[in-house]
Amino acid sequence: MNETNLWLLFVIPAIVGALLLVIPMTARYLRGVISTVTAALLVYLAINLWGQQIEINLPWAGFGIDFQLRYYGFSQFIVTAITMFAFLITLYSTKFMVDKPKSNQFYGFLLLTEAMAIGAALANNLIVMLFFWEGLLITTFALISLGSEKAFQTGLKSFIIIGLSDLCLTMGIGIIWVQAKTLVMSEINLDTAGLNGVAFVLMMIGAIGKAGAMPFHTWIPDAAEDAPLPFMAYLPAALEKLLGVYLVARIALDFFTLTDGMRILVMSIGAITIIFAVMMALVQKDFKRLLSYHAISQVGYMILGIGTGVPIGIVGGLFHMINHAMYKCCLFLTSGSVESQNGTTDLNQLGGLWRQQPLTMICFVVAAASISGVPPFNGFVSKEMIFEGALEMGSAYRIFYVAAVLGALFTAASFLKLGHAAFFDKVDPKKPRVKDAHWTMQLPMIVLALTCIVFGVWHKLPLNGILKPALMESMDKVIDKGIHFEFGFGPLFWTTVLILTFAILNHWIGYKLTGKGLGASHHIYELPGLHQIYDLAEKQTFDPYVQGKRGGRYVVKGLFYIDRGVDWFYQKLVPATANKIAQLRQIHNGLYANYLSWSVGGLLLIILYFLLSVPK
Amino acid sequence: MENVILLAILLPIIGAFILPVIGRFSAKIRNITALLLVTTSFGASLSLLGPVLSGKTTTFLLSMPLGFDLILTADALGILMALASSFVGIIIVMYSFGYIHHDANQNEYYLMVVLFLGSMIGLVYSQNLIFIYLFWEIAAICCWRLIGFYREREIVLKADKAFLITVFGAVAMLLGFVILYSQHNTFNLLEMQGKEASSLAVLLIMFGIFSKSATLPFHTWLPDAGVAPSPVTGLLHAAVLVKIGVFAFARIFVGTLQFDPVWMQILPIVIAASALVAGGAALVDTNIKRIIAYSTISQLAFIFLGLVMKNPIAIAGGLLFIIMHGLAKGGLFLCAGIVEHNAHTKDIRQMGGLITKMPITTVSFALCALSIMGIPPFGGFFAKYMIITGAVEGGNPWIAGVFILGGFITVLYVLRLFALVFLGEMRTDLVNVKEGSNTMLAAVVILGVLSLLAGFLVHFPNEFIQIALEQMKVGI
Repeated sequence: MNETNLWLLFVIPAIVGALLLVIPMTARYLRGVISTVTAALLVYLAINLWGQQIEINLPWAGFGIDFQLRYYGFSQFIVTAITMFAFLITLYSTKFMVDKPKSNQFYGFLLLTEAMAIGAALANNLIVMLFFWEGLLITTFALISLGSEKAFQTGLKSFIIIGLSDLCLTMGIGIIWVQAKTLVMSEINLDTAGLNGVAFVLMMIGAIGKAGAMPFHTWIPDAAEDAPLPFMAYLPAALEKLLGVYLVARIALDFFTLTDGMRILVMSIGAITIIFAVMMALVQKDFKRLLSYHAISQVGYMILGIGTGVPIGIVGGLFHMINHAMYKCCLFLTSGSVESQNGTTDLNQLGGLWRQQPLTMICFVVAAASISGVPPFNGFVSKEMIFEGALEMGSAYRIFYVAAVLGALFTAASFLKLGHAAFFDKVDPKKPRVKDAHWTMQLPMIVLALTCIVFGVWHKLPLNGILKPALMESMDKVIDKGIHFEFGFGPLFWTTVLILTFAILNHWIGYKLTGKGLGASHHIYELPGLHQIYDLAEKQTFDPYVQGKRGGRYVVKGLFYIDRGVDWFYQKLVPATANKIAQLRQIHNGLYANYLSWSVGGLLLIILYFLLSVPK
Repeated sequence: MENVILLAILLPIIGAFILPVIGRFSAKIRNITALLLVTTSFGASLSLLGPVLSGKTTTFLLSMPLGFDLILTADALGILMALASSFVGIIIVMYSFGYIHHDANQNEYYLMVVLFLGSMIGLVYSQNLIFIYLFWEIAAICCWRLIGFYREREIVLKADKAFLITVFGAVAMLLGFVILYSQHNTFNLLEMQGKEASSLAVLLIMFGIFSKSATLPFHTWLPDAGVAPSPVTGLLHAAVLVKIGVFAFARIFVGTLQFDPVWMQILPIVIAASALVAGGAALVDTNIKRIIAYSTISQLAFIFLGLVMKNPIAIAGGLLFIIMHGLAKGGLFLCAGIVEHNAHTKDIRQMGGLITKMPITTVSFALCALSIMGIPPFGGFFAKYMIITGAVEGGNPWIAGVFILGGFITVLYVLRLFALVFLGEMRTDLVNVKEGSNTMLAAVVILGVLSLLAGFLVHFPNEFIQIALEQMKVGI
């Protein structure tokens, strides 16, 4: 019975999703309602399964590729979270997407995405995981392309970037099969010497490519502008983080035993992602684009936390993952609420919304406080844990701690600016007044905002109820004693207070200088040195996709000319040679003397051959 | 059962010559007869499946002097290939009804197509090198007539080019066969089992195989062959011609003879170069059929990589990719045929936005394209994974890395093609473009859906491939 339920968990959304794509429906809300009901059913199924241990094992393609699923502490956490986010987003979309062009395909792909994500989280065989994982490429591309006219360009960009990281993952898995002689995820345990190290790096590329860390992030800000908004809340904010960081955790904790060098590599990726993405976020002038840079920056914290290898850091990283999914999802939904009522998310045209959209504003404030690490919201708890993890690494690794703290500072600053600009800045009096969004859109935001508070104030609940069983297997000795985190007025608390004070101070300075909330980061943008870097970034100089396209063009041209060169051989050289040989016919001039001399010469050659080949 | 093998081969080969006679009276009956001939041949191969699944092979033997014995064996490898080819063949013949029915010389067209398929079936069951060569050259002649089907001078020159290059290769290969004969005193592959081939023979035979399977540096005739009608290019790429070379490699060097280990160093480098060069060319070219042709060259490299590595997972991947590539590439060409037929251009710069006008073709094209790229849940995914893994297992992680790059280039050029043809803005002169005819759409939908199902049901082909591996004594 339980096994059947596990199957249903990803078969139902796959089938319903496929049917929604194929069957034409004209009723306005029908697709939305069907998907919401389906998503609700899946939440029910997932909760029903909670706490059980189920394994499914079927032969599939041979060579270690078996259809193996495993429902246990870690996957139950990811799967349940996926179903809940999917439910909230579908509910939100029923109203948001209803009259959008091309929305008829939206729900089908939404449910297919859910099926793939659940399958990837449940897999206990690397190929099964890759099967679902890479399958997300298609639905991601499709969902992005459903946005604006030009959205398919961004869809292609995401397909190519994630596709590359998935190909690396494929090869990493191939190496693991050769080295470990198994694809069963619960049995793999390798060191990182030689070829294993290559496998580790390739697997990590696959994982962080999905999570959207640098340098695989550049499609996310573009998608924020082009793709339908629920997509942003669904994939880059929630599902991709859940899956990507889940895999990072499995790689770093279960599959490989890391050396210090590898640890530093992982933590560096985390630290670089935090700093650069948050600096970009700080100067954005579009609600959604700003959020999308934070979706990148926050991954850095998760990777950094897991990379520390210190129990509190790992737990903090994973706790940050689920917290981030909640508040970032909530933030994107508030931006959608703003967009649907005002028709734009350009911060220059927004302002004073607190009076017109009070509920949206409250949800925004709660989520923004969480992401900025204000106590007692959930983001504060997980960030503190990551700080602590980074500190425990010892003084040689202090740089990572500094990066984390700096990131927190700029995160807080950019959310002060965003909130100020959207909700509190002076409003253009000519702009028509708007009402707050429909209740189906408000409900998901409220639920998420409330959970942010619950997970912050009663953090022991998720820490011991969700994360402890999840990490039981990988870190049994450490976890047995339970995960401890106490609010206290130690140095870390004061660090947070200091960060927030600086952020507010910085905001105040910026506000005084420009007179607008939106201008609060302008003085940072204008800093000498930084200004030039920002200019280059705006010209996409740092986008590996754009640069790769430029550089790749020459390589491709070169390959093309090799091909043409080979063809020249057949088209020109061979016929020309044939023509030259044909000129030999002039030897046939009809003179007997000539023919005779040819014959004698030939005869001599034959005699010579026989003479030489006579055995002595 | 032995006579069933003869039926599978001779029915299309002899039946083909009756088609023009029927065609003088009724085009419709001729078309149906052609379809029946190919279907019956498919059915005959299918009926040979039973014994193979229970571990036996069926052999037909006709003794002849001078080592020219006609030996036909229906083993797992042969049946796998015969089924894959004749299945795609059926789809393509069906598609031709819609595509070709305005053109002249239809009698010759159906004669050549059916003869082509018959020679392929003959080749896959032959165990005598001389008969392999014989069927090989019948295929070359059919291919020559079919590429030059539209009789303009330019086109005929391209057909000549294809014919000359492949025949040059085939003659070199024949020399190689003669050397093998002088070494082992037989043309019978069954008697050569496990013996060593001299490097000169390997070199000469590889000329033939690479020229037929369009691998660098003998590949440029294949993009040029795109001047043929689309079902013909589909046939060349998916079912028959280029698969002959790959198959011959599997038959001769994987299943039968051993070669010097130095070839294990040389061949991967050649095919890796082939994959990259073809991929680069596909990213630059602007003719829809040439791009797909270059993609065939780069994907053939994947198949070769699998077969060259000589370990079970790699070979299984290579054989699996023969099937998956056949289905998907056939679909791509037939979709391209619909596009080219209705939009009256092959230049992808002059297309765009066709998704609104031909949604079914677009979806089928996308399904096949995803399989070629190796994206799950499509069939190509498993094959590519197994090939890459096999390359690592064979001790060539660098080559595997190059092929990951090749796989990435594949993603790039297929996406570029798809985006330029089907997405984006519609050009004004394409506003009146319509979907293809029903039989044409049915053909592409079948291939697209099968590419998808093959991923979920990869269990079945793989189990069969395991039997083929056992019969080829791989890994022993």
